[in-house]
Amino acid sequence: MSKLVYNEMLKIVRKKRLWVIAAIIAVLVALFTYAQYRETEELRKRLGTTDWRTQLQQQIVDLQNRLQSPSMSEEWRKYLQIRLKQQQYYLEHNINPSAPGAPTFMRTFIENAIDLFLPLLVMVVAADLVSSEASAGTIKLLLVRPVKRWKILLSKYIALLLSVSLIMLMAAVLSYAISGVVFGYGGFRLPLLTGFVPQGEELNTENVHIIPQWKYILIELGLAAFVSVVVGTLTFMLSVLLRSTAAVMGIMLAALISGAILSNMVSSWHSAKYLFMVNLRLTDYMRGTAPPIEGMTLGFSMSVLAVWGLVGLFVAFLVFTRRDIY
Amino acid sequence: MRRSPVALLIVVATLSGVLWLGGLALAVQDQFFSAANPPVEQKQPRADETKRHDEEIDIVALGDSLTRGTGDESGKGYVGYMVDELRRQTDKPIRVTNLAVRGLRSDGLLRQLGQPEIQRQVAMADLIVMTIGGNDLFQGGEALRLNMKQLDEAKRRYVANLDRIFAALRRFNSEAVIFALGLYNPFSDLGDAKQTSAVVRDWNFASAEVAARYPNVVAVPTFDLFALHVNDYLYSDHFHPNEEGYKRIGGRVASLITLTEEDER
Repeated sequence: MSKLVYNEMLKIVRKKRLWVIAAIIAVLVALFTYAQYRETEELRKRLGTTDWRTQLQQQIVDLQNRLQSPSMSEEWRKYLQIRLKQQQYYLEHNINPSAPGAPTFMRTFIENAIDLFLPLLVMVVAADLVSSEASAGTIKLLLVRPVKRWKILLSKYIALLLSVSLIMLMAAVLSYAISGVVFGYGGFRLPLLTGFVPQGEELNTENVHIIPQWKYILIELGLAAFVSVVVGTLTFMLSVLLRSTAAVMGIMLAALISGAILSNMVSSWHSAKYLFMVNLRLTDYMRGTAPPIEGMTLGFSMSVLAVWGLVGLFVAFLVFTRRDIY
Repeated sequence: MRRSPVALLIVVATLSGVLWLGGLALAVQDQFFSAANPPVEQKQPRADETKRHDEEIDIVALGDSLTRGTGDESGKGYVGYMVDELRRQTDKPIRVTNLAVRGLRSDGLLRQLGQPEIQRQVAMADLIVMTIGGNDLFQGGEALRLNMKQLDEAKRRYVANLDRIFAALRRFNSEAVIFALGLYNPFSDLGDAKQTSAVVRDWNFASAEVAARYPNVVAVPTFDLFALHVNDYLYSDHFHPNEEGYKRIGGRVASLITLTEEDER
């Protein structure tokens, strides 16, 4: 078994996909770092101060003004209302939620990458794991050996899990190393608040507690890895079902992008919350922003994702072990 | 298994995988089973942080949409034009903190002044400019209610609130000069201009009386600026000033500020 996994891992490394992914992450992180740097500079120039309390207060007042606008959708108002309460809470407890530093950048990077960017990278590895063997015909060479079919597929799946783990590691290390050049490497002990529970327009602060930033980041990485594994598993399933890698990519891309779009407009379509792609933003529950559909919680989203992942895995194995190969 | 880059990669991937699993376990533990203890003690900003910097001029702007600059397409508002004017007089850096919220009434401002951070900003200020009362009187842009009884009640509340606002500002900051801008009549070209103007004058008189009770509070009139050709200075909503209107207000406030005097204080 370990030889099979080694073999599959060797195939992935030989394709040089992981290097491409590392390069993509590095370029994007550099880009985001620069953008973030420009934004803080701009803010500093506009407000004439680096005092975070003044900046946060100014953001609060800006939010209050935006809330006065009469032509605003109900969801958006709710969202702003909750953000306002949260910022007020941070200010009252004298905690700066966005103290500059590489860890803060890393945290926001993961939060923004969790629903599209990281799954996309996982897809690059997962999409052709099986389908390429099918389209190139090498699947026959693989299956004529005296090894059970499920073992072959399992070795491929384990290789995928290892790749997901490596992608997460690359994202974490690169975002920390590159952004630190500009923002400095300190800030892991910064206290952060979590446990906000949005209830309609109100914000329940009963369970709010402080955790240090390193713990917060570790939790986010864990959640992001979970999301990546589920998306990877679904891609893996499609890769078993379809012979064309392009079709696998197309379907997964469509699903992921539709998830990003749907999250903004499904608030009145309640059963949409059982779709996996609107449940990808797990880190938002940590921050306590309003979920896309009322009633969604971290536990709910994780269960939905887990069910989708398990069903995908089951289908993949069922089809792979029964199918005729010709 | 022989030592090779791939084997190494597998080991690294497994180890980091353990780390992500740990993160996931932490997530479950923290989000589902954490003890509900919000132990966050409220720390007030320390006094040394609220000390005023002598090298720069801190201006705090408080109040409603007028201070926000609603109606000015450039978004500057009278505060912006005032600062432009002041920058011509001094080389010192000027820092503006605009805390105005559209639609704010006097009770809202009073509530805002209860927040510690707002108090800290006020304490740091070298200069305070404010507009308040427009929404108490005009009910957010609707035509003036001319029911005398309701109006008297609104005025009584407004004057009481204003008194407490000035008292609060003086408590947080005993030195900064406060420029309290008066009301103008946006309806002075309508048929009932005589009555509406009388009410606005009455309110302005009352607020000037309140201002006079406190040291270093200057009531700045704006009524006269909009008395003639009012529509030339109003935005298309016929309520807020336009760019020209804001320039006039900003110029007037700026002309009252002498920065050398501020230094000596």
